[in-house]
Amino acid sequence: MEMSDKLIQVKDLKKHYNKGVIKALDGVTIDVNKGEVMVVIGPSGSGKSTFLRSLNLLEEPTSGEIIFDGVDITKKKYMNAEGKMVKLSIDEHRQKMGMVFQHFNLFPHMTILKNMTLAPIKVKHMDKEEAEKKAMALLERVGLADRADAYPIQLSGGQKQRVAIVRALMMEPEVMLFDEPTSALDPEMVGEVLEVMKELAQSGMTMVVVTHEMGFAREVGQRIIFMADGKIVEEGTPVDIFQNPQSPRLKDFLNKVL
Amino acid sequence: MFSAAGFAKTWQYIDLFKQGVITTISLSFLTVIFGFFIALVLALLKKSKVHPFDYLATAYIEIFRATPMLVQIFVIYYIVFAKVNVPAFKLFGFIRFERFLPGVVALAMNSGAYLAEIIRSGIQSIDYGQTEAARSLGMTKFQSFKEIVLPQAIKNILPAIANEFVTIIKESSICYTIGVQEIMYAVSSTKGATYRIAEPLVIATLVYFCLTFPTSKIIAYFERRMSRGDVR
Repeated sequence: MEMSDKLIQVKDLKKHYNKGVIKALDGVTIDVNKGEVMVVIGPSGSGKSTFLRSLNLLEEPTSGEIIFDGVDITKKKYMNAEGKMVKLSIDEHRQKMGMVFQHFNLFPHMTILKNMTLAPIKVKHMDKEEAEKKAMALLERVGLADRADAYPIQLSGGQKQRVAIVRALMMEPEVMLFDEPTSALDPEMVGEVLEVMKELAQSGMTMVVVTHEMGFAREVGQRIIFMADGKIVEEGTPVDIFQNPQSPRLKDFLNKVL
Repeated sequence: MFSAAGFAKTWQYIDLFKQGVITTISLSFLTVIFGFFIALVLALLKKSKVHPFDYLATAYIEIFRATPMLVQIFVIYYIVFAKVNVPAFKLFGFIRFERFLPGVVALAMNSGAYLAEIIRSGIQSIDYGQTEAARSLGMTKFQSFKEIVLPQAIKNILPAIANEFVTIIKESSICYTIGVQEIMYAVSSTKGATYRIAEPLVIATLVYFCLTFPTSKIIAYFERRMSRGDVR
């Protein structure tokens, strides 16, 4: 595989708490390739959410490298094209990494439309009219155009998460990170959110998804990462992972969840 | 105790009360604005966990909350402003600025300490996921605070802030002790000139009520407006 296909390179990433007593991440090395759907599974406390949240530095790693767009974003400075050391702006990198949370985190004091247009207007200085037009098109795509003027509290969980996904898409990210996007939903709403994610995957978006939805992992995931105790224990295609698991940890995990 | 003649006599000094109202409103208005900014800075410093600024903010808040307002205003007027050369002119032609300014400073520093705790609790009441969502969209620390956290925090603490604003209007009467010609100063002057005390006090009571009551009503209106996102 060529260098240019790697969107994010993670090298020996560690996240320790209490001076190393708790190792949430204990040396994770993995590449995220352009256009792939990577699904991270594992028991709770395995470090999968910490791993995902480290990718856009919502968690600051203790050590290791995260190379995104050719820049190690864990460092305060980087070398630019002219060979000068310049200050790294994490805000600029975060614009290119959309994130969807377990608890939606919509802004409750703003309408759906405002939720979506705020960041493009404030951060990208997009024209208000253009931003609204774009937001309406995205809402149309997820079947929520008629709720543009509603407030988040007026929506169901599934609707909120669909809005959260298109809110992230407004910034035209290069990669979308999903942190257990269906875990807080009532069972009957899981499907509508997974449907949006599936469509997004088919459109060629690079996705890293932490989830407990094994059906989704198997159907949409192109590469499955199994994590336990802060480490990647096994990785492979859905067929490798689900039909031919190697490690006892993974076999044990699959026995419990399937 | 009360008499028509007493009110008639007091009425001759009604201009003092009118000036007193303007002074009280000016004092309270400036106190609210400066107090709010002092409070915002204190709350952010205290939350920042950057030593020694967080400790200094805590010490400031505790000292101002644990000592009497009367002591604070005397310290600021007689000790701090003893060395400061405040230009002696009259605001609106009757407010003596060299007394008015120390009054505003004392009131603002005092209410800043109280408001800081209110604002801090408001900021803490906002789920950290809100900040994370804003930051993950590429917004800066300042943008996410200003656009996302602060508006929600203020909404949550609006009743407490309204209470503090009303308190400021009432507490501004303490500036009478350093010779600021607010409403209680008008009472005192009228008493000295007419030997009547009940009638001037009745007028002062009514005036204070007419200032504080609408203030809390106006804030209640904004509270309703800001909670539009709360109803299904």
